[in-house]
Amino acid sequence: MDWLDRLSIAAIVAITIITIGMVADREIMKRQQGNSGVEAEQEKSSYALQMEMDNKLYQEVISYKEQGLYPEAMAELKKIMKKYPEKSLSYVYMAQLYLKQGDMGDSIHNYRQAVEMEPDYVDDRTPLFIGDKIKKLVTEGRKKFGREKTLRPKDKEVRKTIDDIYYLQSRLAGGCE
Amino acid sequence: MKLLKMIDVSIVAGAVLGIAGVLLAYFGNPVNSGICVSCFMENIAGALQLHNDIRMSYIRPELAGFVLGSFFVATQTGRFHVKGGSSPIIHFLLGFFMIAGCAVFIGCPIKMILRLSAGDLTAVAATLGLIFGVWLGVKYIKGGFVLDRKRELPWINGFIIPLFAVLLLILPVISHSFIRAGQKGPAAWHAPLYVSLLAGLAVGAFAQRSGLCITGGIRNFFLAREKTLLYGVITAFSVALVLNAFLGQFRWGMNAQPASHLSHGWTFLAMVLVGFASILIDGCPFRQLIKAGEGDVDAGITTLGMLYGGALVYLWVIRSTSAGPTFEGKIMVLTGLLFSLVVAMTLRRKL
Repeated sequence: MDWLDRLSIAAIVAITIITIGMVADREIMKRQQGNSGVEAEQEKSSYALQMEMDNKLYQEVISYKEQGLYPEAMAELKKIMKKYPEKSLSYVYMAQLYLKQGDMGDSIHNYRQAVEMEPDYVDDRTPLFIGDKIKKLVTEGRKKFGREKTLRPKDKEVRKTIDDIYYLQSRLAGGCE
Repeated sequence: MKLLKMIDVSIVAGAVLGIAGVLLAYFGNPVNSGICVSCFMENIAGALQLHNDIRMSYIRPELAGFVLGSFFVATQTGRFHVKGGSSPIIHFLLGFFMIAGCAVFIGCPIKMILRLSAGDLTAVAATLGLIFGVWLGVKYIKGGFVLDRKRELPWINGFIIPLFAVLLLILPVISHSFIRAGQKGPAAWHAPLYVSLLAGLAVGAFAQRSGLCITGGIRNFFLAREKTLLYGVITAFSVALVLNAFLGQFRWGMNAQPASHLSHGWTFLAMVLVGFASILIDGCPFRQLIKAGEGDVDAGITTLGMLYGGALVYLWVIRSTSAGPTFEGKIMVLTGLLFSLVVAMTLRRKL
């Protein structure tokens, strides 16, 4: 071992100690400031903020829906969808309104749109989870549209709805997606 | 006697793989994804902030376990040989394309076996595709395809990937800000850390001893009717099948399977790519990790290509969802097939 080796080893040891010290120091500071659960808290408050804003945005839709004025609620919803096409919640409300009016196929289709845009709707670890409602709907839908497929095997709408049901069931089943 | 011993080791390795694959899902990993090298690569890429999908960001200890299990056994048994230098850029790119193919199917060859053993019939097209891809690769091997010879390299090269695996285990503990861990989506589904790590180490160790490789088993059968590794693959499937049935995780059918789609043609093609590429670089994604732990630097470069693939499949949307493959995913499968064919064709040595 010559002087260059000794110098290299000393430098490696020194840099390792300094690096570990710097990382440890920052982590200790963060923990002292009580930031260990900061990300989870931030995420929670971000959800809360989003839900509060959504409640304001969909105020009229919710009001019409509660009064049983479904066509009016849908008209209001379509205005919001035009103005904010990226809002997945619109599809959830649309699905609920279709279902209230007895249109199971369009309800399922809108739930699919919502889940494609926002997977949190079928993730039971988020506050947006509505998987139970969707599961109940697609379970009933599978029976209903399964029968209709037997009666009308070439009906494109029926096949499309069944496709949507399989999609939603696959998402509800979990997996790495 | 020696052959019998190899078959025994291969069967034990297959059994360990099957048990670990099912139990990891039972203990918390995503459904049918107890072990999935491609999904886990995507998770690790996300955790290292190489892509920005928080739902797919988690350091999977299993992958580090595979590398380290292989490393420990190889160093203890004198099988740790640092070699490489055989077409590194081809290894890197085929590593990337293998992950792209896996992302279009939604799973690596091991997950394909686990999905089949859980009754997911959409994996049948994948199995046929993988077998066809391997068969095609064997045709090229018989037709003179060979990568340039590996050579001995300085020892430090062989320690880099095992060291990276150790860092993957340490970083989440020492630096929460650098490593991301998603609290929702597949990232939130994971077995306890020690279970994942122990399973990874055990699978890695047995895979190193046996040489277990999903595509390797099929390749050896096509090439020389040699069945040792194939027995391991069949054992992994059989054990997972029985265990899935026992634990109530078996759901027979084609529709509504977790993380699956019904675009069977693209599933087939995607796994043709994975099978074919695996033969060209001598090992499926899982085997590449094991080889990287044995000091194979080319496998280490393939591993880095797979990690890069894990990031790009999310950044470029080269993947599938339950709705089917994206346009980008389809194009990447075709590009990967083209690249693999050009590599296979140009590296043929005709006598």
